Amino acid sequence: MTSLKRSLGSDPLASNISSKVYVRSTKSGKVQKIVRELYLRQDIPCSSKLCTACLKTAPRDAAGFLPPFVLSAAPAGTKKYKQGHYIIPDTNALLNALDLFETSAAFYDVIILQTVLEELRNRSLPLYNRLIGLTKSEDKRFYVFFNDFRLETYVVREKGESINDRNDRAVRRAVKWYDEHLIQAVKAAGGRKEKVPAVVMLSDDKENLRKAKKDGVEACSLKEYVGGLENAEKLLDMISVVQENREIKDAKTAELFYDEYYSVSKMGTGVKNGTLHQGIFNVSPYNYLEGSIKVPAFDKSLIVLGRENINRAVQGDVVVVEVLPKEQWKAPSTKIIEEENMNKDENADAEEGESVVTEKERRALQDEVKKVHSKTSEGRPQPTARVVGVIKRNWRQYVGHVDESSVSKSAKESRKQQTVFLIPMDKRIPKIRVRTRQAGEIVGKRVLVTIDSWDRDSRHPVGHFVRSLGDLETKGAETEALLLEYDVQYRPFPKAVLDCLPAEGHDWIVPPSTDDPGWKDRRDLRHLEICSIDPIGCQDIDDALHARPLPNGNYEVGVHIADVSHFVKPNNAMDAEASIRGTTVYLVDKRIDMLPMLLGTDLCSLKPYIERYAFSAIWEMTPDAEIVKSEFTKSVIKSREAFSYEQAQIRVDDKSQQDDLTTAIRTLLMLSKKFKQKRMDAGALSLSSPEVRVEMESETSDPIDIKTKKHLDTMSLVEEFMLLANTSVAAKIYEAFPQTAMLRRHGAPPKTNFEELANQLKTKRNLDLRMATSKELADSLDTCVDPKEPFFNTLVRIMATRCMMSAEYFCSGTQAYPEFRHYGLASEIYTHFTSPIRRYADLVAHRQLAAAIDYEPLHAAVRSKGKLEAVCKNINVRHRNAQQAGRASIEYYVGQALKGRIVEEEGFVMKVFSNGFVVFVPRFGIESLIRLRDLADVEPEGDFDPENWTLRTSGSREVKVELFGKVVVRISDVLEEGSGKRKVKLELVKTGGK
Amino acid sequence: MAPSALQQILLSPAELSYLHTSLSYTPPIRPDGRTSTQFRPLIAECDILPGTNGSARICFADGTEAIVGIKAEVEKSRPTFREDEDEGKKGRNEWVEISVEIPGFRDDDSMPVFLGAMLSEALLADGSFVERLWINRRFHWKIYLDILLLSQPLSYPLPLLSLTTHLALLSTRLPALKSEQDEDPLFNDDWDAAVYLFPRESDIARPPITLLVMAVGSNIIFDPSKEELAVAESVLAVSVAERPTDDESRSLKLLAVRTIDPPSRLTQPGVANEVNTATGGTAVGSVGERVLKREIKGEKGVWQPPRGGAKRVLVREMIRRVLEPGGVADEVLEGLEGVELG
Repeated sequence: MTSLKRSLGSDPLASNISSKVYVRSTKSGKVQKIVRELYLRQDIPCSSKLCTACLKTAPRDAAGFLPPFVLSAAPAGTKKYKQGHYIIPDTNALLNALDLFETSAAFYDVIILQTVLEELRNRSLPLYNRLIGLTKSEDKRFYVFFNDFRLETYVVREKGESINDRNDRAVRRAVKWYDEHLIQAVKAAGGRKEKVPAVVMLSDDKENLRKAKKDGVEACSLKEYVGGLENAEKLLDMISVVQENREIKDAKTAELFYDEYYSVSKMGTGVKNGTLHQGIFNVSPYNYLEGSIKVPAFDKSLIVLGRENINRAVQGDVVVVEVLPKEQWKAPSTKIIEEENMNKDENADAEEGESVVTEKERRALQDEVKKVHSKTSEGRPQPTARVVGVIKRNWRQYVGHVDESSVSKSAKESRKQQTVFLIPMDKRIPKIRVRTRQAGEIVGKRVLVTIDSWDRDSRHPVGHFVRSLGDLETKGAETEALLLEYDVQYRPFPKAVLDCLPAEGHDWIVPPSTDDPGWKDRRDLRHLEICSIDPIGCQDIDDALHARPLPNGNYEVGVHIADVSHFVKPNNAMDAEASIRGTTVYLVDKRIDMLPMLLGTDLCSLKPYIERYAFSAIWEMTPDAEIVKSEFTKSVIKSREAFSYEQAQIRVDDKSQQDDLTTAIRTLLMLSKKFKQKRMDAGALSLSSPEVRVEMESETSDPIDIKTKKHLDTMSLVEEFMLLANTSVAAKIYEAFPQTAMLRRHGAPPKTNFEELANQLKTKRNLDLRMATSKELADSLDTCVDPKEPFFNTLVRIMATRCMMSAEYFCSGTQAYPEFRHYGLASEIYTHFTSPIRRYADLVAHRQLAAAIDYEPLHAAVRSKGKLEAVCKNINVRHRNAQQAGRASIEYYVGQALKGRIVEEEGFVMKVFSNGFVVFVPRFGIESLIRLRDLADVEPEGDFDPENWTLRTSGSREVKVELFGKVVVRISDVLEEGSGKRKVKLELVKTGGK
Repeated sequence: MAPSALQQILLSPAELSYLHTSLSYTPPIRPDGRTSTQFRPLIAECDILPGTNGSARICFADGTEAIVGIKAEVEKSRPTFREDEDEGKKGRNEWVEISVEIPGFRDDDSMPVFLGAMLSEALLADGSFVERLWINRRFHWKIYLDILLLSQPLSYPLPLLSLTTHLALLSTRLPALKSEQDEDPLFNDDWDAAVYLFPRESDIARPPITLLVMAVGSNIIFDPSKEELAVAESVLAVSVAERPTDDESRSLKLLAVRTIDPPSRLTQPGVANEVNTATGGTAVGSVGERVLKREIKGEKGVWQPPRGGAKRVLVREMIRRVLEPGGVADEVLEGLEGVELG
């Protein structure tokens, strides 16, 4: 009998065939044995510019194009490798110090092995993505070498060898091969042996290093290697501390502060059968010891109280929690606890004698519990929980500053390595313990750090220093900090993106001949009196309007939107970049564009006096604003004028102006008021958020004043027509693509969100807040007025806004039609169409509308539900981040504008805690906390009545602070001693008006 | 009685009679010269199908050949409501699915169905096998045994299929479990870490085997060839398994015995000279007389298909010969142990 097993003996190419076997567990719980056959090749190039042999054999693509070789012919040298060197890191090196590889100071000409890349992907997806980003950047010269597909570098796993050992061996084999290959290549080219660059394996694995030495492979530990570089000290800080720490800890039996996490399978089982719950961990901005998790099984969020229960979870992590027994349920805290103040003088270096919960923390929490227990009958305790495991860490790079008190004075000058605390800008992130040699230098700077690990035996997470952004309070550093903190992509557009721009650049014009393909199916609207109305200084003009009377007494109204989809074709590099950025981010002094400048501010922008491509929505409507007919078309327009809101307002108000353009604006204004009324009747909400504008000195762009935004009629004119266009487009694309239309929805807020506010209004002002429908809410908000206090209504609206859900983009196939509703606008269906220059969603809507009117076929990318869902998910996040970044930027500038000034202003109490209260100052749009201990030198006794939201103090100072109450505060800025951070500080002057 | 369903062998009554006679001698003379307990040589190999959890192939010298592939899947167990089943492992017969494929037969023909039933009967007989498929109280392995006869069923293929299945089970590996207790199972993704369903170095009884035994007169013959089966008076399928013992010696236990309808019953009888007109005999008038004559007179050299079942004494003797220490089953298991896994 001949064996049926694949016999390789007779096959001359047998050595090229191998296979690998592994077990795959699918999501549905299936477990499969997978066998993959590998066909090993010999034409995978080494990609070194020194090598000519590979150049000949390297495979080319269908067009005969050979990807250029990456590795430099003359790589940089170090003290040890004077002849120059290529680096081959193993997985550990990348895991511990990817930040190092990203620096521009060193680490060029790096070979990333396929084995390492795959291992890294299994270990950490974010790091993998960053590495992929690195391999794409041309100047760093990172080359991915597919060693497991090349015959000479493929290694077969031996009997009894672990996968890790096999992979390490594969790395060593590849290093060796590269070394020999380069020597040969240089020899072949007639070069001298001394010229051959060294190939160095970087590893943090001692065993691997030892074996490398035995095999005669050039290898180096990260530390040793970095030590040999020029700016070693800076770079050394960027190596993750995980490893050394572990070694130290192993030596002495470490004390464990936290409970061990459950195993993955245990958590999975628990979540599935409902005994455990999974959700995203959110830390209260007022109390760093209190987190909450929204899980489907409970109406109210689960509360996680105290360090032990939080069990090393960090803001944003996906965690699994276990609900505590009912006796331990508590009401959410009414006390402000800030980490900074609690553990001020902790020593970062001290390892021994610390406990998880400091004495102070314990006392603060105990007070809490007492209070809750006394009131459990009427106070509604919420279920509490403890974290038993983390499914996914959401750690990113954090911006913060070094806690100066944790830096020992003597060490400031010396280069000794020491441990310092880093206080992240985001209050919800715990202090990070960082080991650094540059303590002296980075004090007083904005710095970027990452968290490496948080072990059971460490009270604080351990991280490492990435880079310094600049001095605290300098504009550059603070702006960059903001952008990093909100994950805004602010790097300049890569070359691949710029290559997608029209070759003509700024000289691009609408083709003069109407026979040009660009004119195909485009309507010529150049004869219309079109104008745009935007904020002052607006450069990216998305929209323009026109109106004209028709012979039958109706009006024709047109909204013309920049035709961005003409320039940004689906699935090219520019489209990909725009979909990642998702939105343009506006900061006070800076704009981070979604699309390159050329498009945003020139070619797409509907600038006046110039012909531009547009996407037009044109309606015929009666004077009562009833729509008779609507149509959509691609067009060419020529805007007559670009007004600012103020200019347009002046023009409308000036009776002497009777030209066509002005009358058109008046018509639009008249119609817009009718639209608005209709919307209001349907139950649209008018909500409020504190909006201020920072005025800058034109030269230095230093803030000089803060103004609250004024509202003009012309603003709501534009707004109404944009809403109209958005709603009509939404209906149209939904009709054409019921499964894949890009829409925007705003869910009705759950009643519980409003409970507290309604309660407060009821008890404090005897006002009823009804929220059965948006109409009811809108009406009852209108009744929330205090005749003596005009601002009260706005205050209520601001607070109501915070109870709302946030609107989100979605793909129509993922929701049922009733869920499409936009609650705030009281519209059945809605999308974003009118700002394609600054929002990606609009661009998608443009493409879909173009397909709906048969202008062009729908591209596959905007037809697939899965892809659209991913796009929606991303832009929802980006959108939120952009808003927050914008707000934070204003906040920063408000602080700067107030620098060195002391102002007394009126404010309102928005929130009352047992040991402090929050005051909102409408004039500056700032909101800040006043603690009891800030009231007087000796902290007065506080008596908090949670039923009436009243805080009465006695002792050193006697005041009574009520919710919604008016107070006068002194606003000043203080430089915090410990942190060197400038903060707006409010002091209570008196209660009542000025 | 399981049907023989063998293809009819085209032998003349004279040939059948000759075979029968030689097998009736003491010791019997077999057509291929074997002794009564001697097995035909066979060739076996394991792990021939890389995509399966376990596989084996066996070729018999007469050209019959079978392949068995085994796939395992994780499956949720049906909840039990009986309290007493709570503690300890307990398997269910439905966790094993056997399908037998024989060329020329539909999968619902009686032959493959009976073969499948006999194989699973042996496998499930004492419940120790399904117990091995228990992962935790909520999950178990479901085993799919795909048994494929590659050649025509020349002799009764039961022993071939049984031995191949035995080998395939021996080579079967299951991914190593990482999770604990009643959690959703989580497995090591390293195939090299997978564990054998029947670990070699343990006292776990190996899978059962089923052997075919036939008798002619009082002679008991093992591993009958198709010609021998054609004259068998009774055929028995005996399933045996090892019983775990403390020492090295092997102790066997009987799992199942099935009688199989011998194909010889369907052969054409020979005609005695006495009633054959061609040889000067006289034709018998009525049908009844003819039958009487044929049944009563056992004339030498005239083939008479066997009638009726085996005697108890004979059946007992056949089983004893299978089970006795150093007996046939012992020898076969010994031989199979020598097959290299992987």
